[in-house]
Amino acid sequence: MRLKRASLIYNIIFLLILIPGLAITSSAQQEEKQPSINLTPLLKEQLVYSLNVFDGKGWSGSFVPKTESTIYLIANKDNAICAKKTLVYFWPITVRYIAAWRTLDEDVKGVLEVLKDGKIIEKLKKQDTVLCYPEGYWGEKVVLYKGNEAIKWYKKYKKAEDEYYKALNKYYEARIEYRKKMNKFFEEIKKRREKGEKGPLNIEIPKEPEPPKPPNFFVTEPRKYYVLNLPVGKYKIRLRAKDKTIVEGSEKELLVFTARRREGVGYEIIPGNRWTKREECNDPANAIYAAGKNVLYFRPYRQDEYNELYHNKLLDPQNRGRIENWKWVHTEPIKNVQLLLFSKDNLLKRIDKKPYKVEQIPGPELGYNIVEFKKGKLPGEKPTFEGYQLILSENLPEKSYRIYLQKEGENNNIISTSEREIRLVKRRNANFLFYLSIFPLIIGGVMFVLRYRKIEK
Amino acid sequence: MNEKGISLSAHTMKVLIKRELISSIYGWGLYIAVFISFLLSSFILRNFMRGIGQNNIFISSYPLNLPLFISVVIISLYLVIVSAISISREKEHGTLEVLFYGPVSSSSFLLGKYITDMLLYVIILGFFAVYFLGVSLLTNLGFTLALGKAFLVSIFLASCMISFGLFISSLTGRVRSSIVWLIGILLAFLGIWFLENIFIHIPPESLSSWLLYIQKTLSVIYHFVNWVSPFSYLSRGMESIRIGSIKPFLLNIIYSTIYTVVLLLLSIYILKSKGVRA
Repeated sequence: MRLKRASLIYNIIFLLILIPGLAITSSAQQEEKQPSINLTPLLKEQLVYSLNVFDGKGWSGSFVPKTESTIYLIANKDNAICAKKTLVYFWPITVRYIAAWRTLDEDVKGVLEVLKDGKIIEKLKKQDTVLCYPEGYWGEKVVLYKGNEAIKWYKKYKKAEDEYYKALNKYYEARIEYRKKMNKFFEEIKKRREKGEKGPLNIEIPKEPEPPKPPNFFVTEPRKYYVLNLPVGKYKIRLRAKDKTIVEGSEKELLVFTARRREGVGYEIIPGNRWTKREECNDPANAIYAAGKNVLYFRPYRQDEYNELYHNKLLDPQNRGRIENWKWVHTEPIKNVQLLLFSKDNLLKRIDKKPYKVEQIPGPELGYNIVEFKKGKLPGEKPTFEGYQLILSENLPEKSYRIYLQKEGENNNIISTSEREIRLVKRRNANFLFYLSIFPLIIGGVMFVLRYRKIEK
Repeated sequence: MNEKGISLSAHTMKVLIKRELISSIYGWGLYIAVFISFLLSSFILRNFMRGIGQNNIFISSYPLNLPLFISVVIISLYLVIVSAISISREKEHGTLEVLFYGPVSSSSFLLGKYITDMLLYVIILGFFAVYFLGVSLLTNLGFTLALGKAFLVSIFLASCMISFGLFISSLTGRVRSSIVWLIGILLAFLGIWFLENIFIHIPPESLSSWLLYIQKTLSVIYHFVNWVSPFSYLSRGMESIRIGSIKPFLLNIIYSTIYTVVLLLLSIYILKSKGVRA
């Protein structure tokens, strides 16, 4: 009886241990069976066009997958294009096709034919092209050079680079020498102090060598591209192989467009009360409506106006846009100008461009101050931004002001497209607008009374 | 038509215009419509001012153009509906038939209606000028030259709207069907125009697939409606003012005039061929 009871207890304990164990094992097995999220894109070989096209500001690169039938270019500018074979995959996260250049990057040889209204107007052969960054690789400016000029620029860069590396080697050698001299210098001091010399020791301090400056420009390696420079219009391009056949998949439409408005002046405005949220005042018809006290910092740019769809497609053929919309593209910052503030026809102020620094208010409170940047305060410190400061307040005597840009030193020459109006609005009166709406009813009432009297008469 | 016939027709038109004009000026409808349009404009402007207040700065091309656009649309709708009702009512009551036995022809009748509505619009434009001048003084939003140009463009929109209304009422017989058709078509045009303008400012990347489908469909419809809808003429005119180029501005005026003339001629032809009975 006791044995039976003991075996029953053992069995219960065994089951209590076994059941959760089995449950854990089965859940682990279930986890293994669950499908894993493994997104391996399907790579397909495609003939694509690689582009280095003028985007209104400089030259930028993109590629045209098989799915895009049209290439967009800006008129009368050198645009480098090249047919290549690569592996393309669709990336669903960004909903676009991506080229796996590292896996396959093969040039497709042939002559590029440009057709207009079905007739061949140009037959192009590949030529050397380079992209030159005159302000350095991280600079904003990019220029495309072709042919001999491309080679000349590349050689120039290579020469500058070689000279830099030579100078760098010399610098490292000089640095080793300097270390040695410094060690000797300290040893000498130690010796003479130990000997009991006091006061200035008159030992010459070794001069630290200056590191060489790297080339202030950058040029890419020459690459063979077809260079297209066409007037506005619709064209077709195709690649003719050596055996005179047309390369399959090389036919594309070419839409060459130009700016609707050119040489405009646009402003980036940094409001002092929220400097990270910048405003753009690009259209010449734009007016700046301001209320209350504020400090505005103006940053002027040259700009051209392009069709939104065409320009977006130019930047990346897979981009979208609206053909009905137009957009201003900042081409370059305007330098060496003064900002003039006018009230009616009177010049109130000439404002110079100054560097500014955004300083966080110390302590736990949030907030910042924008102060004029002073050089040499802290080593390596840089201004946050540069701009033309304009202080606005509700108490300004006039309701409306105008700003213009003027080239420094040219007192009578105002940049005409730089004009913008600043209006100081009276937001307090906004509710009175409803009272203004009643006046048609008052006139209606007067007319009603007049008619009533006329009928009575 | 001989000289006597022309002078008789002109006299008839003059009488018709005078009668209609006096009736509208002494009635309440016109003033209530203007009041509603100003109320809506004030609402938009107050919100605009609040927007400036919150951000301390607001960059805009012509903040008064949108309220003007809305006012013009409301007033044009009012004029069109009133005009369509009056034609259909006269058809229904048989007064038009009686008139046509006399010296009134379909052309003098429709032109009379058109000129009356245009004169009424010019009077309303006076109201607009006073209101927007008041807005400008109160808020300092500025009564600019561009607003003056928008006033000029609005005359041509009103002309397109009125001729469109006359065309629809010449096609329909009864008051009810005339109003239903007119309001239905104009609201559809307005809806398409409004939605298309909303979609223009939304980047396609941020649209869900079904919204993108709607946008694409709407874009195709808008492409077709663009030259038929009178609202497109106003938006094109406003765009030409924004660009500041005289060529598209004048072209839009020419297109609006052609639109008006074509619709008026069609209306006269339809009224002649269909007869004046409801």
